[in-house]
Amino acid sequence: MKVPETTKEKIAELKRRDDEAKMGGGQGRIDAQHAKGKMTARERIEALLDEGSFSEFDRFVVHRCNDFGMEKSKIPGDGVVTGYGTVNGRPLFVFSQDFTVFGGSLSGPFGEKVCKVMDLAVKAGAPIVGLNDSGGARIQEGVVSLGSYGEIFRRNVLASGVVPQISAIMGPCAGGAVYSPAITDFIFMVDQTSYMHITGPQVIKTVTGEDVTSETLGGAKVHNTKSGVAQFMCNSDAECLEQVRKLLSYLPQNWEQKPPELTCADSSERADKDLDDFIPDSSKAPYNMKQLIKKVVDKGSFFEQAKHFAKNMITAFARLGGMSVGIVANNPMHLAGCLDIDASRKCSRFVRFCDAFNIPVITFVDVPGFLPGIHQEYGGIITHGSKVIYAYCEATVPLITVITRKAYGGAYDVMGSKHHGADVNFAFPTAEIAVMGPEGAVNIIFRKEINEAEDKAARHKELVDNYRARFASPYYAAELGYVDEIIMPSQTRSKVIRALNALKNKRTFRPVRRHGNVPL
Amino acid sequence: MADIKAPMGGKVIKVSVNVGDSIAEDDEVAVLEAMKMEMPILSEEDGTVAEVKVSAGQTVEAEQVLVVLS
Repeated sequence: MKVPETTKEKIAELKRRDDEAKMGGGQGRIDAQHAKGKMTARERIEALLDEGSFSEFDRFVVHRCNDFGMEKSKIPGDGVVTGYGTVNGRPLFVFSQDFTVFGGSLSGPFGEKVCKVMDLAVKAGAPIVGLNDSGGARIQEGVVSLGSYGEIFRRNVLASGVVPQISAIMGPCAGGAVYSPAITDFIFMVDQTSYMHITGPQVIKTVTGEDVTSETLGGAKVHNTKSGVAQFMCNSDAECLEQVRKLLSYLPQNWEQKPPELTCADSSERADKDLDDFIPDSSKAPYNMKQLIKKVVDKGSFFEQAKHFAKNMITAFARLGGMSVGIVANNPMHLAGCLDIDASRKCSRFVRFCDAFNIPVITFVDVPGFLPGIHQEYGGIITHGSKVIYAYCEATVPLITVITRKAYGGAYDVMGSKHHGADVNFAFPTAEIAVMGPEGAVNIIFRKEINEAEDKAARHKELVDNYRARFASPYYAAELGYVDEIIMPSQTRSKVIRALNALKNKRTFRPVRRHGNVPL
Repeated sequence: MADIKAPMGGKVIKVSVNVGDSIAEDDEVAVLEAMKMEMPILSEEDGTVAEVKVSAGQTVEAEQVLVVLS
């Protein structure tokens, strides 16, 4: 190859090298990527970032491996595209694994590139997004590859709670590689083209004899519905990247900032008359809690996370008067809205995320209690349920709670109660705040009296009615100051927004310590 | 074929579909009462009802098959 001598030639040489690097593993592999319905690493970055905003790092990095014939095969970039750009005008650091180059496998230099942008994201106080599409460790490099994974994991941990970290799984992500996304705040998966698992189908076949595919073992559906590992399931790469952009719009750049506040066309004082007859007369009848929330928050702002997992618990981002908030709500349509292991895990992790990034938490409560059962107890509901308590009690962001109907037993305490540090607690007139449902309570308190009564059924009913009047309402709790205000459901929006504004500069102090011991 | 199962133990208070009905995702197939709550059981996919395994008034356990779709 001719060595460039003149300036013109040197300029041309850079262009030649740039063009070569941009081709990644070559047209054949790019075509193969497209044939699977996937975008290339660079196309993904273009789709994620504001148009034309991407600046690339380390385009000419190559591996340094001289074993197994690798010295003959060097491709500029070495399997990952890294750099920074903007999303909605705000800076963002990104790495995008390039499956067309050595199957996106992770080498030492690959890891160094990823670590470089992670370190800069933390210094710059900007989010980091990782787009994953990799065959795993580059086996030819042996333990160097493992060392690189470790360096990335450690950075994920150190960046946790400092800047938002988001992962999109857009192809294979297997073995140790899963742990970097797992430590990040949110995982998006593209349905049918991505999977995550620790051990693959071949290993499982060898060890246990079971036949499974990558899809049934760790596809987007599995992790969004069963394991709860992923929080978003998308139909295509393009949809996935659009959803990542949307999620970022609710988040601040780092822990020291507040989320962006948008101008809101939806009036803060908007009353919704429908809400006054939204809660059914029968306390046994379910209703659509998501619809209730949508009537309260800014129009079109409801953005659910982990919506396919633990459906008895709703967790979502939304806006109120333009302010970004996290919504937590029991869902009476699923498992009666009970708290169980999965719901507790989902809720506590979400509340802790919101607290880490200055996002106020609004809790809508309609909970009949904890799900009874041997599986729950054996599965450790005691530990998992306590995570919810921990998350609320340690939170320092504004906490506002609206009890729409049932707040029974221990679940009353758990779901953002005043006792756990919630700042403003509202209740609807339909609220029932009590240690348990009237029938159950009467059966215990008045067992003897009912047994001795002449007309047992009549006495039972009378006692239940008395109990209901006294306790199955918000008024006893209101007498005690456990709820601050009983509100007309139609006024929920303005009440919550006023409270949010009042709490904007909330300050709380925590005891000095190394760190708490959250019941993991 | 897909089984629609009871998510928790309770009493079936209504069966909302008949054999041969074609249903869509999120259609109600039955209503279960548990924890003093009526709980609609929704289909997770589109399909045709091949078999109804329970009747109103019956007590079911968690994971018991209520309706089979084809």
